[in-house]
Amino acid sequence: MEFLIVSTLNGVIYGMLLFMVSAGLTLIFGMMGVLNFAHASFYMLGAYFAYTLSGLFNFWVGLIVAPLLVAIIGMFIERYMLRRVHAHGHAHELLLTFGLVFIFEELIKLFYGDFPVNYQRPDYLNFAIFNLFGTDYPFYRVFIGLVALLMFIVLFVLLTRTRVGMVVRAAERLPDTARALGHNVPMVFLGVFGAGAALAGLSGAVAGAFFPTNPNMALELGVIVFVVVVVGGLGSLAGSLIASLLIGVFSSFAVGLDWSLASLFGLIGLGDWANSLGGLVTMPLSSISATVPFLLMLIVLLVRPAGLMGSKN
Amino acid sequence: MRYALIAILALLALLIIAPPLLGTGWQYALINALIAALFAAAFNLLVGQGGMLSFGHAAYFGVGAFTVIHLMQSVEYGDIPFPTVLLPLAGAAVSLLCGALAGFFATMRSGVYFALVTLALAELLHSLAPHWDEMFGGEAGLSSMRMPSLGFTFGSTLEVYYLTLSWVVICIGLLYAYTRTPFGRLTLALRDNEQRIRFMGFNAHGTKIVVFAISAMFSGVAGSLMAISNETANYSVFSTQVSALVVLHTFVGGSTIFFGPIVGACVLSLFTFVVSGVTHSWMLYQGIIFVLVMLFAPKGIGGVIQAHIEQRHALPWKRLAAPYALATLAGLMVACATVFVVQSLEIVLSREYAAAVARTGEYAPYTVFAREWQVFHPFTWLFPVLLLVPGLYLLRRAFARIQTLWDKDDDNDNGDIPAATQELMEGGR
Repeated sequence: MEFLIVSTLNGVIYGMLLFMVSAGLTLIFGMMGVLNFAHASFYMLGAYFAYTLSGLFNFWVGLIVAPLLVAIIGMFIERYMLRRVHAHGHAHELLLTFGLVFIFEELIKLFYGDFPVNYQRPDYLNFAIFNLFGTDYPFYRVFIGLVALLMFIVLFVLLTRTRVGMVVRAAERLPDTARALGHNVPMVFLGVFGAGAALAGLSGAVAGAFFPTNPNMALELGVIVFVVVVVGGLGSLAGSLIASLLIGVFSSFAVGLDWSLASLFGLIGLGDWANSLGGLVTMPLSSISATVPFLLMLIVLLVRPAGLMGSKN
Repeated sequence: MRYALIAILALLALLIIAPPLLGTGWQYALINALIAALFAAAFNLLVGQGGMLSFGHAAYFGVGAFTVIHLMQSVEYGDIPFPTVLLPLAGAAVSLLCGALAGFFATMRSGVYFALVTLALAELLHSLAPHWDEMFGGEAGLSSMRMPSLGFTFGSTLEVYYLTLSWVVICIGLLYAYTRTPFGRLTLALRDNEQRIRFMGFNAHGTKIVVFAISAMFSGVAGSLMAISNETANYSVFSTQVSALVVLHTFVGGSTIFFGPIVGACVLSLFTFVVSGVTHSWMLYQGIIFVLVMLFAPKGIGGVIQAHIEQRHALPWKRLAAPYALATLAGLMVACATVFVVQSLEIVLSREYAAAVARTGEYAPYTVFAREWQVFHPFTWLFPVLLLVPGLYLLRRAFARIQTLWDKDDDNDNGDIPAATQELMEGGR
């Protein structure tokens, strides 16, 4: 019971964090069809900017200003780089953002060094919110989840209930029609890219204070973010929320379970034979928990490429 | 064509004659450059010719490497006799099988989704490998010794170099021959219009699987050669870094031309060898080069060279000489400024420098470009600005001039700018 509750809670909160990072990517991918490889780099930049700003001013200034700085960088990239290579096709846009990943990672290493920096949450946020089976549960974990939830609600309302959302969705579905109606479509793209970058920056600023802030954080999250976007479905916000939670809970449970294919065979009386095979068959789930998201992505890509909530395109 | 053949033969002669005169360090660097060249050429069969962008080619490279390490171990323990010279054949065979299997699934999708399937497959292997001890040797990996065969001891780097060179030349030759076959033509057609292929009665999915498998096979040879040269392999050969590097090499070199990726791989891996010995920021420079190529020369170095060769009779070389020289000079200025800033930051922001400042209480001068610079002297920071600003201005001017000269003499393809606008632009300058 203890394992079940703690794993679910941790999984849900990790899932919410994943959602925070991937929400921006979902938006960008859905709009422009560009898989922005540098998206996780925006997350890292957010964390580092917030670290610097929280040292200079305070934590909240970092939390608010860092995403804005990241948004500016994002808009610069969209305006002066992506738009430039747009004529050469999506592959080129993909490759360009792919190159930017190296530049951002190396710049961070240049300025902050090749080791984790000490980005800490303020003391007054550093308390236990409740006691779970004898262990204190940190409030900040819940805080991350709450910020993500707030973000989802704001985004959802903005996109489905307001005029801005209407224009954005129109520019995504039928750019030419939107242009004919007098909307500045390139400007919308610029705004969406900036907003997407800002969301990644915000999640970096929030999560960096809890998880280690180091130059590898973009690499660690980079591929998982794609998994979320693909599993959730092209441009579907709700889909990426579900996918994030799914992956969060799956990986949090997988870490604690020592099931293997052999134990599965054991249920039908073939346990000894399976154990004698060794290799993959006897590998416990806990040791291959990092594999689970990729397996999930592979299955989704092959069975339902539009993703869980994506419309068939 | 004749010139190309002469150039290739001359290069080959150089590659055979030069290495004994170089140190082991350079021999090793050349081995790595050759392996990277083969890997990039194999990757380009899929990407440049087949039109399928893969982000997980490290998987097949790694499969080749591990196959050979296992086989080498068996030979070492005397289980199976297998000549060292032919080891890459085993890597090729296993990679071909894996490529066919993975290709079957990956080619069910196209475009971005194809790239994602390949990425997921490689990540799957990468996350699995460190936990699968018998197969991949866990975190430490597996190692083995090269056994003497056919009169070679393979004790010296030079012998390994010649082995690598032979395999790479043969494989690149085969890959080139492939482009000349009808099936090679079909591969190109697949990139241009898959729908048409299907319409003409070919099996598009089957063709794609074969292309994927062949590309994987030659990647496996490259991985095998890496394993032979290092005598070890660990799970990091499956990492995104390896997949990323081949993408970098291929597109910097230019994926539309057969020799582009080979040039890109050689240039960048030798660049890495030279620069990584001098500075920690070599990855940054490589990233900047890649992004600049993507922005300003989308067809890569190879594309630029090919355009010049094709237009060699039509271009007004005399009038182009001045802007080309100016562009080179301005480019050097900008590059100098960038390198100066990066190197200065690397030194001044380093832990060692901070420790020295804390110890002595003063900001000691540092050396870049064989000259000492004071951290807080205004000229130190004015120097790059003085190079960068005029450099960028001159670069813009030179490129605008080059652009007009190119467009003017290119009758078939007048670019996007209408003639009237062009006149206007020239008048304004």
